[in-house]
Amino acid sequence: MSTQQSIFVDAIDLRGALAALHERGSDLTVLAGGTDVMVQYLRGDVLPRGLLHIRRLPELKERKFGRRTVIGALTTHWQLVTDQDVLIRHPALAEAAATVGGRQTQNAGTIAGNLVNASPAADLLPVMLVSDGVVTLTSSAGSRDLPVSDFVLGRRSTARKPDELVTSISFERLAESAGEVYLKIGRRHAMEVAIVGLAARLAFDADGNVTDAGIAIASVAPKAFRAQLAEKRLVGTKLDDESMREAGELVRQSVHPIDDARATADYRRRLLPALLRDAVTICRRRAFNRGEATGHAN
Amino acid sequence: MTSLIGADVARTDAESKVRGEAVYGVDYGSLGMLHAKLLRSPIPAGSITKLDVTAARGLPGVRAVVTGSDAPVARGGAVVRDQPLFATSVVRYEGEPIAGVIAETEQIAKRALGAIVLEIDPLLPVGDVEAALAPGARLVHPDWKDYECSLEYPRAGNIACEVTSDSDLRALARIVAQADVVVESEYRAQRQYQAYIEPKSAVARWEDGRYVVHTASQFPFNVRDQVAQFLGVRVSDVRVIGHHIGGGFGAKLDASLEIYAALFARHVGRPVKIVNERSEDLLSCGCRENAIVRLRTSLASDGRILAREADVLMDNGAYSGEVPLMASLPMHVFGQVYRTGLARVNCRLMYTNTAPTGAFRGVSGTYLYFALERHMDECAVRLGLDRRAFRLQNLLQDGDCTLVGQVLDDAGVLAEAFDRVEQVAPWSELMRRPSTPGKRHGVGIAAATWLTNPGPGTVTLKLNEDGTLGLVSGATDNGSGAVTMGVTQIAAEEFGLRPEDVIIQMPDTDAAGYDAGSQGSRTTHIVGRATRTAAAEVREKIFAVGSRLLEVDPADLNIAEGAVHVKGAPTRSVPLSKIAIAAMSTSGPIVGTGSYATPLPSYNPACANGLLFPVFPTPTYHVHLAEVEVDEATGRVTVLRYIVAQEVGKAINPTGVRGQIQGGVAQGIGYALYEGLEIADSRYRQRTLETYRLPLAVDVPDVEILLLEHGDPAGPHGARGVAEPPIVPVAAAIGNAVSDALGKAVNQIPIRPDEILALLSGDDPIRLR
Amino acid sequence: MQIELSVNGVPTRLDIEAHATLLDVLRGDLELTGTKRGCDEGECGACTVLVDGQAVDSCIVAAHSVNGCAIETVEGLARARGALDRLQRGFIKAGAVQCGFCTPGFLITLTAYLREHPAPTPEEIREAVAGNICRCTGYSQIVEAVRASIGEEI
Repeated sequence: MSTQQSIFVDAIDLRGALAALHERGSDLTVLAGGTDVMVQYLRGDVLPRGLLHIRRLPELKERKFGRRTVIGALTTHWQLVTDQDVLIRHPALAEAAATVGGRQTQNAGTIAGNLVNASPAADLLPVMLVSDGVVTLTSSAGSRDLPVSDFVLGRRSTARKPDELVTSISFERLAESAGEVYLKIGRRHAMEVAIVGLAARLAFDADGNVTDAGIAIASVAPKAFRAQLAEKRLVGTKLDDESMREAGELVRQSVHPIDDARATADYRRRLLPALLRDAVTICRRRAFNRGEATGHAN
Repeated sequence: MTSLIGADVARTDAESKVRGEAVYGVDYGSLGMLHAKLLRSPIPAGSITKLDVTAARGLPGVRAVVTGSDAPVARGGAVVRDQPLFATSVVRYEGEPIAGVIAETEQIAKRALGAIVLEIDPLLPVGDVEAALAPGARLVHPDWKDYECSLEYPRAGNIACEVTSDSDLRALARIVAQADVVVESEYRAQRQYQAYIEPKSAVARWEDGRYVVHTASQFPFNVRDQVAQFLGVRVSDVRVIGHHIGGGFGAKLDASLEIYAALFARHVGRPVKIVNERSEDLLSCGCRENAIVRLRTSLASDGRILAREADVLMDNGAYSGEVPLMASLPMHVFGQVYRTGLARVNCRLMYTNTAPTGAFRGVSGTYLYFALERHMDECAVRLGLDRRAFRLQNLLQDGDCTLVGQVLDDAGVLAEAFDRVEQVAPWSELMRRPSTPGKRHGVGIAAATWLTNPGPGTVTLKLNEDGTLGLVSGATDNGSGAVTMGVTQIAAEEFGLRPEDVIIQMPDTDAAGYDAGSQGSRTTHIVGRATRTAAAEVREKIFAVGSRLLEVDPADLNIAEGAVHVKGAPTRSVPLSKIAIAAMSTSGPIVGTGSYATPLPSYNPACANGLLFPVFPTPTYHVHLAEVEVDEATGRVTVLRYIVAQEVGKAINPTGVRGQIQGGVAQGIGYALYEGLEIADSRYRQRTLETYRLPLAVDVPDVEILLLEHGDPAGPHGARGVAEPPIVPVAAAIGNAVSDALGKAVNQIPIRPDEILALLSGDDPIRLR
Repeated sequence: MQIELSVNGVPTRLDIEAHATLLDVLRGDLELTGTKRGCDEGECGACTVLVDGQAVDSCIVAAHSVNGCAIETVEGLARARGALDRLQRGFIKAGAVQCGFCTPGFLITLTAYLREHPAPTPEEIREAVAGNICRCTGYSQIVEAVRASIGEEI
């Protein structure tokens, strides 16, 4: 903490949290599970003048499974991994949450934390993008909704205003005739920051034609994004080799990866077409075998 | 009572560790202790133009700020005195200490670092070994000529050490020219960080005119010597007390923070504790060096090796430490497994503006064997010979000589080790195994000869009045179990005691005799043997007292189950406690001592120039086999199966031996596939454990272990060194397996998925930075 | 600032620094040095403790955020009057302890895991400890220790 007197607010309910943000939102760093914020703070990457502790807020811990799924901001990764309703309606979200760090990280880290931290490699983000994710932001003045793709602006940057809190994220559930998956490429078999993360959600008709396609990729650009040209290329096809090959090429051309300490740009580009092929194949298999259990596709 | 030798006895410190009670170096503290942090250079090379500590000194809670002007001695170093305690005029690596702040809390000390005004004029860093060698390269040590050496060896300019074999170059040239096949390749390896989970630390105080240092060191006597050297005092003016070590793997053999803690403690007149944060520990650690190895082998078409040439460039980093000894290793490695015909070896160890490199389990062996074994595969493939058969054809046999002229009486164990692996994993079957769709299957085999460090040790045993045994030695257990299993079991066995009745305390350089530390797998062998010698003396004294008490000849007595018995009349016995008490009033308290250092095998001193590390005593033999699967889409490698055949002499504790082999292979898998310290512009790209990836439980298979137990007559119960070598052939075996899977040469460590994808798509190999 | 928590069943009130992590408080204020500091970034798991029964990396948990929580550390695993629990005994017997620095973290992670999954397979055990690094053992004997502790064949 900086040498000046730091502010602490240990909020016990949403009203209290919003009041604190209203009064001094620009001085406060929101702290939920802390698995990103604390690491950055200890490294000296952030120097918060104050902390708003929101871990207790009961209003942010609910999950509703109506027409749309509404997940409270403080839902932890482990809760996503183990919630039966999430596993049925959003298997890729559970799958992605299971790859975030180890059990310790998953116990503490939250869905909103992953989103708001806005790492280019954030695992949950591509899944949110193919699930029509919408963020609900609340301030003492009221609430507003923002599609996830508009909420994340770039690396470590979001549209959250200093007096706002992400209170929930809603999603469209996986349709009957659809399958989804999250694939993550890393070096080791766990505890990896994605070298590439790819989420796919495909819907099919009874003849096996793709009626809808969502493909989102992380870690190849400052923020995760949907590969819209590739999506369009696949709709109306039966995922024949030619279509998949061309879609793979479109994905490869759409990315702007960098060399970093984890992998080269070249590597990221090279493996995308095969990764896409694997993803859409799994989506089809899962769409037609809805009883199939998801595993870690890591 | 069954013998403890060969028994799976629990280590005697396991309980304190599972309770969380064991006090490690970082856990140790002293009343009235202050805390220190080091200011480290943010850039790899430059001239210090300003260092102003006034503001830092004045901060509340700061007791002192120490700089190079407070260092008693200009430069120190194990082999050559090239290293200052603090950089004064120039900095030579990112992370080099420049000043130290001592304060009431660690937080205050850390904050005060930010108040030190430091200005450095950057110099173009000498970034790698090739840059260091280039004509006109800037000298990392312009004053190298003035540096003192305890003994001279070839060094000049940026060449920190050079070893050159004495070879008949004309004969060599003829062979090369006339050979049926000549294979030439280059191999590269990045650094590997030891990444012990307990960061380095030290606590020191100045007391009664001496430095007293508490530290989790693998080699307390070495720490003593280095503290004494750098602070300009006699070695007996330094006392080092050890604590449980949370992993060392070679990195905790040298003094590091201890010297600073000692200096600071004297400066402020209070005990001082200093602990590395993980990032600074990684930055400043003496990692396994990065290197470039070029091999050229001349062959006859029937598979005979006619000549072998090796040119090695090793990265010394900014200061030498003991790494000049490593420059000798190519002379050993390239001639102690396979016949070489005529050989030529040149090794140059280069100064660069990077962190000083140092010892990590297996030292240079891990990449030298990688190069050797990759090359053997490449030769076999070029000749159209089976890779295993080609090796067997050229294996050394009993009585063969290495390149340094050392005779390996039992090199035939290598062939036996190959056989043992064959029995559980028939080579021809493995060769026929098909790949699953989307994957490539590959198999690799590698052999190695390694040593048991011969360094001296000494043990004093004392028989306590309650019949337990006190064992005093300077030996350290770095986690291997060498002390809490090996030495303990050996000692207990001598007197029919339980392991928990052998009392061993942490090493104290005042109380114990010299011990050469936990390195090179020496402890069970050397200290175990010294224990048996000491035990013989104690037994003799026990028998002398016992013979009086039992009124028999000493030769009619034996010791079993904690008592002295009359042979043939076992009910006539006296417990050891009574013997000890009886001795008090007659001969005096019963103690015995034993010392041992391995007599060095003979060798030919004229074999090379600069050979600071001349022989491989008490050799052991190893064959590793790796079966891998490479994913064609991602380039990721999964180790499906891993087999180790290892000559151990005698497994004093099979569970302990297994733990060392499994653990060493895991570190080798990390080295081969996951870890990698990339250096770009003389800086590490990987800075913390987030990007420097250590293998996890989901990354490492269960190793199949085949032990060969040909006892070493010189070892306690025949035991040879076990713990260091399991890491040595791993990168070689995996490198060969991956190359086999791809049908392409993978000649860099670590083996990276992007390199694999590039090879699979037919592109040029990616050169490692 | 003041926090109140229970540590291994003992109600504890502490005055802490604002910036303190739970690990700082355990090792510093409470002198419970069984929990270790390995990396300060939630990578190695040596600092794992249970907060309200959930395993977390205490090095990245702000101390004030566990006000009112129940903390379990390695020191609390052995039963009253000090008898080791089954997992600790399994670790000793199977050779799962070498340097032992990672051991408290593994014991805590596994204690919580076994409460949820009393009979894991070797693969499940490996996945369960993905957040704990061991540099010494290569993990096999840790897996065996868990299997031994639940009465399974090694």
